[in-house]
Amino acid sequence: MNKPVTIIMIEDDEGHARLIERNIRRSGVNNDIVPFTNGTAAVDHLFGSDGTGIDHKGRALLILLDLNLPDMTGIEILRRIKASKYLKCAPVVVLTTTDDSLEIKRCYELGCNVYITKPVNYESFANAIRQLGLFFSVIQVPQAAT
Amino acid sequence: MRRRELPRGGSLILPRLPLVTLDATRQRAIGQILLLAAGFLVLVAISTSSVILVNQARQDSLWVVHTVEVENQINALLLQIRRAESAARGYLLTTDPRFLAEHQTAVATVLPDLDKLARLTRDNPVQAENSKLLRPPVQARLAEFAQAIDFVTRNDIAGGIAMLRQSGSNDSVQRLDDVAGAMRAEEDRLFALRTATADRTQRLASIVTVTGSGLVVALAGISIFLVRRSARARDEAEAQLRDNNLNLEATVDERTSDLREANNEIQRFAYIVSHDLRSPLVNIMGFTSELEELRADIFKRIAALVRAAASAPLVPVAAGEEVEPALDDQDKQLSQDYSEALGFIKSSIAKMDRLITAILNLTREGRREFEPVLIDTRELIEAIVTTVAHQASEANAQIRVAPLPDIVSDRLALEQIFSNLIDNALKYLKPGVAGDISVRGRTKLGFAIFEITDNGRGIDPKDHQRIFDLFRRAGAQDKPGQGIGLAHVRALVRRLGGTMSVSSELHSGSTFTVTLPINWKAGSRNRDT
Repeated sequence: MNKPVTIIMIEDDEGHARLIERNIRRSGVNNDIVPFTNGTAAVDHLFGSDGTGIDHKGRALLILLDLNLPDMTGIEILRRIKASKYLKCAPVVVLTTTDDSLEIKRCYELGCNVYITKPVNYESFANAIRQLGLFFSVIQVPQAAT
Repeated sequence: MRRRELPRGGSLILPRLPLVTLDATRQRAIGQILLLAAGFLVLVAISTSSVILVNQARQDSLWVVHTVEVENQINALLLQIRRAESAARGYLLTTDPRFLAEHQTAVATVLPDLDKLARLTRDNPVQAENSKLLRPPVQARLAEFAQAIDFVTRNDIAGGIAMLRQSGSNDSVQRLDDVAGAMRAEEDRLFALRTATADRTQRLASIVTVTGSGLVVALAGISIFLVRRSARARDEAEAQLRDNNLNLEATVDERTSDLREANNEIQRFAYIVSHDLRSPLVNIMGFTSELEELRADIFKRIAALVRAAASAPLVPVAAGEEVEPALDDQDKQLSQDYSEALGFIKSSIAKMDRLITAILNLTREGRREFEPVLIDTRELIEAIVTTVAHQASEANAQIRVAPLPDIVSDRLALEQIFSNLIDNALKYLKPGVAGDISVRGRTKLGFAIFEITDNGRGIDPKDHQRIFDLFRRAGAQDKPGQGIGLAHVRALVRRLGGTMSVSSELHSGSTFTVTLPINWKAGSRNRDT
């Protein structure tokens, strides 16, 4: 519980990533943010070489996930995270442009913790991310299962 | 997106029997009729000639019998003469009256026999002449007999015997034998001739019968062959037709699934495009807002620098103090231009966002499953009228709903169709004129036809097609809207298996006509999305 929470941000659009990071910082969250711009790199980092995610044993992670990635769908990553023995406790925030109700339902079914649709209106967008940052600052994240 | 070819129209191959086959069929039918007629004619000919030939044969037989009869008669005549002669001789020798009685009986039959012979031979001039020639010697002979008998009566038996002996070799006996021989020879000749004729007639009859029967059998064989051939041709044609039908169904299925796939892909395409367009829009909007914040910082700094350059401030500027008034005119202009540019960018982005959202909603609507239920159309439309009552009273408009046919359809889709049309009618009324909107309905051939008529500003006929296109509008652009409503309505009507049209003139109101099937079933059109 003493270890600081690391935020893993999987977002293919660098502009979005920058805007998200900037707004999280504005809300006073200073945790490490590790950005990935494609699914493969993120999966490599999350699950390591053996594909189990044992590298993150005992660490606290919070995952920000976009669904529309160039090389795989975010849903696939979500499914693998929630199926992993070591990562399944990490909170997953799906942050995407899709507001299709079926998609939202599917994500929650797979175990996503929060689903946020990116508003095009920047005021709302910034506001949403800042609130998410406030949420991050109070949320208790468990360590990955030992 | 994968590119794919849309199914092409017009290449459907319909099964068609070649005209040649039709001609051949007709020829075959005519041939069969001709064959039957020929067979019938042959039968008639055989029957007729058989009857004729049988009659001929009977005639010939009669003639043969006649010849035999004539010969018999000649022999009977000669026999009677000989009988008379021998009886007369017996009488002369014995003078026994029994011989005399027999002689007289024989003599009595000679002349009738001769007459009968003459009758029988009337048909033949030669024999008639002969029978005439026969008469004198017969009569002479009878006279001699009478003379001999007379000798006996006069008891001159010796004289009688002598006379008879002498007369046995006389001229009349000779002539009698000659003529009778000639007659028999003639009859023999006739007999041979007539027998031959009868034989020939019979042979002819049997030949005709056999040949005719053979012909009939041959014709029957040809007929059977032709009938079997045409039956086979018909079976083949039927099989072909069945195959063609199956092929046609398969082709239709194939085309339908092609279309369905194409439609699905268009839906996916629209969905993905509108979706992916949103992502960069978030960036554009986000960084524009960031720029806006930067603008505040930049101009704050410019103001500070300008002030610093003008005169060192006695008192340091307090943080957060409003610095805008301190800008000089030129910088103020710059600031305003900057804000204006940002404002245009942001309003454009907002518009683009609305359009993309509209497309997304349309594609989402296209993916919704329709559920056919029985709908009280009038109730549904009156419910819509209630929801727009406020707008109607603002526009000083009345909405009249006539009795409408109930239909089986999707409730939500119908609500969207009619509320869009009624909204439009209210929206585009003529300013300053009391609005009059009426909804009427009727049925025709399994379809319900609904008409929404208004007395509004109308639509230029050149825009009638355009107004159904996505994002297209007509007339003065003085009302808010994206140009989506009618496109959406038409898409819904089509999915419900109906059609829609508009008739309108500028300044004289519009009538939108929606034709929907009365009993719509969620068929393939529903599943294909």
